Amino acid sequence: MTQKVSVDDELARDFLEEMLRIDVFEEETKERFGEGEIPGFVHLSGGHEGSHVGMGAAMDDDDWLAVGGARLIGQYIAKGVPLPEIMAELYGRVGGSNEGHGGQMHVSDVDRRLYGHAATIGSGQNPAVGLGLAEEMKGTDNVAVTTIGDGGTSRGSFHTALVFAAYWDLPVVFVIENNEWAISTPAESLSPDRLSDYGIPHNMPTESIDGSDVEEVYHTVSEAIERARSGEGPTVIESRVVRLVPHFEGDKETYRDEEAYERAKEEKDPIENYRERLLENGVITEAELEDMVANIEAEVEEAVEFARESPEPEPEAAYEHVYKTPLYGQGDRR
Amino acid sequence: MTREITYVQAIAEAIDEELQRDEDVVLFGEDVEEFGGNFGETEGLYEKHGRDRVRNTPLSEIGIAGMALGAAVGGIRPVAELQFADFAATAGDEVFNQIPKQPYVSGGQIEAPLTIFAPSGAGIGAGAQHSQSVHSWLGNVPGWVVVTATTPYDAKGLFKSAIRDDNPVFFLPHKMLSETKGEVPEEEYTLPLGEAAVEEEGEDVTVVATQLMFHRAKEAAAQVDADVEIVNPRTFAPLDTETIAESVRKTGRLVVVDETVERYGTQGHIANEIVENDFFSLDAPPKTIGVKEIPIPLSPPLEQEALPSADRIADGIESLF
Repeated sequence: MTQKVSVDDELARDFLEEMLRIDVFEEETKERFGEGEIPGFVHLSGGHEGSHVGMGAAMDDDDWLAVGGARLIGQYIAKGVPLPEIMAELYGRVGGSNEGHGGQMHVSDVDRRLYGHAATIGSGQNPAVGLGLAEEMKGTDNVAVTTIGDGGTSRGSFHTALVFAAYWDLPVVFVIENNEWAISTPAESLSPDRLSDYGIPHNMPTESIDGSDVEEVYHTVSEAIERARSGEGPTVIESRVVRLVPHFEGDKETYRDEEAYERAKEEKDPIENYRERLLENGVITEAELEDMVANIEAEVEEAVEFARESPEPEPEAAYEHVYKTPLYGQGDRR
Repeated sequence: MTREITYVQAIAEAIDEELQRDEDVVLFGEDVEEFGGNFGETEGLYEKHGRDRVRNTPLSEIGIAGMALGAAVGGIRPVAELQFADFAATAGDEVFNQIPKQPYVSGGQIEAPLTIFAPSGAGIGAGAQHSQSVHSWLGNVPGWVVVTATTPYDAKGLFKSAIRDDNPVFFLPHKMLSETKGEVPEEEYTLPLGEAAVEEEGEDVTVVATQLMFHRAKEAAAQVDADVEIVNPRTFAPLDTETIAESVRKTGRLVVVDETVERYGTQGHIANEIVENDFFSLDAPPKTIGVKEIPIPLSPPLEQEALPSADRIADGIESLF
């Protein structure tokens, strides 16, 4: 049975395009990492694209995103950080959004209200509560959205953030992207049936949704943001996705049940499913789709070129950004 | 015009004036509202500034510190209290990994103009988990500005600067000094961060000391047959090495007294700065005095044994001649 499309055609095409952008960008990232061009670790988003894009589309430009969990790059893209700046940051180059000081785990873009990521998983939620407090005190109706994986919900800091957000009814939306694996530890061994149940003792609205359906994510996060914007406080959403990629590039995934993994790929790939849905509903044609992919491939190629051509930081740049100087009382700030 | 007020009154005045001056300043922490803080350091602020600006929090340093970080990034200037400096450890990730590093890893995009303040130091029989001096922990993580206060004058002037500074500042008053009185100007003033003060001039030996140890160093100076110069670092990180070095160039001798544990403590770092860069200005090896390698015990005689006494400082000074 063909699933209906619940948003207008333009938005639907945008959703697909943005998911494909993440996919193509990450495939290229994987290649470049494999070739040794990108240092450090790389964690890819495969299977989370619908969740990232639905959430990103539900947010206004002035809403904050504090990224958590280990699936990062797709969220940076969904928040609108230009691809060249992300790629150059993955390369650790001067043209990166953080001038190479952050890398994959720390891409931030304050102008686009991307707070960035706490690489110690689960420590980005309390700062998100602080961002919500700041917006409330400044009298705006902006909200803070913060994501975490199933693994991160075991950190005390996650629960503290719920306590603090509830204490002042702050405009924060907690999204738990449950892909069922904290590296190799299965989420099914955690007690709650739905990880959004962690919001229940705090009397927060909770939702558990199919996070591989971009439209469902978009509608649910939009409603939560609307509640937060109108002063009705925080929400916890469990966005159930599958992880169609290793935890990090190089993970041998010995813990996976091969058959279940294959079935998940077959049934829960958010991009494949949405592509089919839009084609079947006549929202997009094969030809338009081909154009879309070709354009994205060109964009990604440009991003790689930008990153490659961007200079390595001078070693002295390692000493920049530790302190804003002069300290107070030592003269005018430079 | 000056008047005598206590150290905690000076702290309360500093917060009060900054709440008044800048509407982006907000104070939060456990029991900062009607209760007025454990030592009276936030007394009257809630009544005067209201619940939007002075906020009680639930009991979690993780929440207090983490929320302060986000609020600062979001454009307000949080002043957050932890009830004891030891509790920096209960917000370990926020204090050691997040706050001091987010501005750096963002490539300078993120500003975190927050102040965390927390009473530190031993002497009131509060035991091993409420009596530590933590500036060596914090000073070891680049990104924190670490400030202490020795007198009411210091406490007010430095705290106001801490709130105005655009870096994350950890401000560490000393709980034994809470009720000590000192002269504080009537009119508004601030003291520069990152600058040490030569509090007492002398020719024979430089003693570097802050907080309670400054007062004990003064007692020790009165006991010894030497002309002692006392330098108060005020800011531990970044450290004003130059003022200390200048003093040692004059006196040729250095004693560093501090309440951090001697093993990997601030004393060793300060002494090393001089040994490495100004070795030939020294007429004797530097002496470092701190808490021995024990947690702070509770029983008063045990606690006083753990802390550098005026006698131990005096012996340390004399050992250099």
